[in-house]
Amino acid sequence: MGDLLLLAQDSSGFFPIFLQTLVKGLALGSIYAIMGIGFVIVFKGTQVLNFASGGMAMAGALFMSIMINDGGLPFMPWSNPLAPAAGTDPSIPRWLINLFFALIFAAIMGMILERVAIRPMVGQPLFSMAVITLGLETAIGPFNRDATSQAARTLGVPWKLEQWKLFDAGIPKSYVAAMIAAAVCFGAVNFFFRSRFGVAMRAVAFDQEAAQAQGINVGRVFSIAWGLGAALVTVAAIFYGMGPFPPQGTVSQEIHPILAFRVLPVIILGGLDSIPGALYGGLMIASAEVFAGQYLSQWTKILGAGYSTIVPYLVMLIVLLVRPYGLFGTEEIRRV
Amino acid sequence: MKIKRLLALLMAFGLVASACGSSDSSDGGGDDNETSATTEAMEEEETATTEPEATEAGEVMDDIVVDFGVTDDVIKVGLNPDLSGPFGSLVSEIVEGQTVYWETVNANGGIAGRQVEMTILDSGYATDKGIENYGVLAQESEDGVVIISENTGSPITAAIAEDAIDDDMLVIPLSWASLWPDPEIGANILEKGATYCVEAMNGVSFLNDLVTEAGDTPKLAIISRPGEYGEDGHVGAEIAAEALGIEVVYNAKGEVAGDDRTAIVSQLLASDANMVWVTLTPGETADIFGNAVAGGMTAQWSGNLPSFNYLFHLGGDLAPAFDEYYWQSGFNLPWNVGDSEGMGEMVEAFNELRPDIALADGYVTGWMEGMIVQTILEQAAANGDMTRAGMVAASKEVVVDFKGISPNQGWAGDYNESVVRETYIFDVSLDAFDIQPVSAGTGGTGLPVHKGPFVSDVARDYVFDGPCI
Repeated sequence: MGDLLLLAQDSSGFFPIFLQTLVKGLALGSIYAIMGIGFVIVFKGTQVLNFASGGMAMAGALFMSIMINDGGLPFMPWSNPLAPAAGTDPSIPRWLINLFFALIFAAIMGMILERVAIRPMVGQPLFSMAVITLGLETAIGPFNRDATSQAARTLGVPWKLEQWKLFDAGIPKSYVAAMIAAAVCFGAVNFFFRSRFGVAMRAVAFDQEAAQAQGINVGRVFSIAWGLGAALVTVAAIFYGMGPFPPQGTVSQEIHPILAFRVLPVIILGGLDSIPGALYGGLMIASAEVFAGQYLSQWTKILGAGYSTIVPYLVMLIVLLVRPYGLFGTEEIRRV
Repeated sequence: MKIKRLLALLMAFGLVASACGSSDSSDGGGDDNETSATTEAMEEEETATTEPEATEAGEVMDDIVVDFGVTDDVIKVGLNPDLSGPFGSLVSEIVEGQTVYWETVNANGGIAGRQVEMTILDSGYATDKGIENYGVLAQESEDGVVIISENTGSPITAAIAEDAIDDDMLVIPLSWASLWPDPEIGANILEKGATYCVEAMNGVSFLNDLVTEAGDTPKLAIISRPGEYGEDGHVGAEIAAEALGIEVVYNAKGEVAGDDRTAIVSQLLASDANMVWVTLTPGETADIFGNAVAGGMTAQWSGNLPSFNYLFHLGGDLAPAFDEYYWQSGFNLPWNVGDSEGMGEMVEAFNELRPDIALADGYVTGWMEGMIVQTILEQAAANGDMTRAGMVAASKEVVVDFKGISPNQGWAGDYNESVVRETYIFDVSLDAFDIQPVSAGTGGTGLPVHKGPFVSDVARDYVFDGPCI
C-alpha cells in the first residue's frame, strides 16, 4: 500500500458514519468558507461579484503544482530552490513555504487582472463589471485546461490520504488541515480589516467618493482586494484538491472549475458583504450537502442520488425567503 | 437589488454548471477550432483527372469508379475528433497516431497510386459542432471525403449514424457502445474492438476467477454513471454476474451523479464487496476508489476502459493503491507492449517520424484506425469501386489484420457474428509507468498485459438479440 495509511477497518456502523459525515461536512464547509471569504473581500473592496474566482482558484492551485512538481516558478525562468527533489515528497514545512509563494503568485495574478480588466471599468454599471469577470473566467479556462491536460497535476500533499481513527471513524488529515486553513484565513482576514488598509477598504466599500476625498487611494484598495481575493480562493482550491476530496490530490480539470459556482449559495446565504456570513454559510451549506448526499439518497433512493447538488440551493432559497439580504448581509435601506 | 437579480440569473447557471461538472461527456468545450490538416506529402497536391468517363456511380479513373473524396491521385479521409473539449488530449494522440500512419503509407506509394489526405474538423465534443462537421465532410463535392476515419464520442456518433447510412458514409467511432454492431443503428459505423458490454462480461469473469482462486466467495459491486456508456458497461457486468451466479451486494446503476459521492462510498464499504466493476470517468473512479481504499476496502477493482487513465491515476497520490487493487481492461495492446509485428512497425514509424514526442497509448488507437481504413480502401480499389458506396461494400468483405496489436476484426454478418468478444486485462503497475520520449525505446504506460486477448465463457456463450441497452 506504500504511503497509504489504512486505519478505518470497521467504519460501517451508524455512529462512525455519522461522525465521518459530520467531519466531512465541516471540512467541506471550511473550503466553502475560505472561497466565500475570497468572494466577499472582492465585493467589499470593489462592489464587484467576481465570477472569475473559479478560474483564478484553479490557476493558483496550478502555480502550487508547478512549484512542487516542475522545479520552476510560474512564468519565471528560474528554478524553485524550495522544490522537493524529483521523486520525493515535500516535508510539511517545505510544502507550506511553497504554498506561501504560490499564494503570492496568485495574489499578483489577481492584482494584474484587476488592473487590466476591472480598473478601466470603474464608474461603469456593476452589471457590466460582473460580466467582465465572467469573461475573465472564460479567458483563464484555456490556460487551466492546457496546463492540466490528461495528466495528474499533483499538489504534493505531504500527508496524502493518511487519516486518524476516532471512535472507529476514519478522520482524514486533509479534512483537519482544511479546518485549520479556514480558521487561519478567518483570523487573518479579521486582523486585516482592523489594519489601516482594512479600514480603508471598508471606507471605500461604504462610499468610494467620500473615501477618495479623505485621501484614500481607491485604486490601491481595489488592487489589494483582488490580490487578497485571489490568494484566498487559491487556498480553497489547494485544500479542496487534497484527497479524499474528489480531486484526490490533484488539480482537476473536471472538478476545480465549478468550485466557485458551488460556493455562490454560501455567500448569498451568509450575506454578500459579511465575512462571518461566509464562514457560517459555508459550514451550513456544506453540512446540508454532505448529509443529504449520505442519508437522503439512501432513504429515498427512488428519487435518485443527486440530492447533494440540489440541497445547497434549496437551503439558500428557504433562507432568502426569510432574510432577503442573507443571514449576515447589510440590509439595503432606501428612501421612498 | 440589481445584484440580487443578477445572482438569481446566475444561480440557474450555477445549477447547470454543477450538474454538468461531473460529466465528462457533457462538457462541450465548444471551441470553434477548425483545423484542416494534410499529411506533409500532400500539401502541394492538386487534383488532376484523367479524362474521366461518367457513369451512374460517378467517374472512372484508372479503371476505378469514384465519386466524392477520391481523385486519380488523392484519397480524402475525414476526421471529426474532439481536439479542444474534454477528451482533447487523448484524441490529439489518436489523431497523431493516424497522421503518422498515413505519412508512412504515403511514403510507401500510397493506396492504389493515390496519396491519402486528412481533413480534420474539431468538434470540441459538442454534438451540434460534430453534426456540422459531418455535413462538411459528407458534402457531395470535391471537398467531401470518402470515409470518416475518426469520430469522437457516442453522442456525436449517434447523432450522425442515420445520416451516415443515407450518405453511404463509413464512420469509425471512438466509442465502444453496444449500439454500433446493430445493423439497424450502426450499419455504417465500424466499431473497432469489443463493446463496453462485452468488455464488462470479460472483466467481471476475470475478477470472479481472481477472487475464487484466492479462496473467497465472490461478492460483486457494480457502479456506473448515467447515460449509454454507464448503462452499457453496467448491463454487461450484470449479465456476467447472473451467468456466473455471483452475488451482487451493491448495485449502483447510473447513480454516480453530481460531485458528492459520500453515499456511494458508504454503501460500497457497507456492502462488504470483494470485487468491484466500474463504468465511470477517470475523475469519478479516483474519487470513489480513493475513498473506498482509504476506508479500508481491499477489494479487487476493474472497469471499462475509459474509467482509468494512466496519466491521471498513476501520476497522482493514489498510484500505489491503483497498483495494488486495480486491473485495467482494454481492447488492444498499449504502446510498445508485446513483440507483435504491428507494434514493431508502429514504434519504428514513430521513431523515424516523431522521435521526440512522449510515448502514449492513444497513438495505437490512431494507428489501428489507419489500418482499418487502409484495408477497406485497398479492397475497394481491388473491387474497382472507390465510391462511398463501394467503401461500404468493401467493409463487409474485409477482415482487418491488426498484426497482433488487437484481435483481427470484420464487420460482416448479424450482431452475433460481427461483435468482437475478445478483450485484454492489464496489470496496473507503477514500476512500468515511465513516460519517455518515443526515441528512448524504454518506458511505458504502466499497463503490462496480464491476460489476453481472451474471451470469457460468458461472453463466448452469450447470444445477443441486439444492443445491451
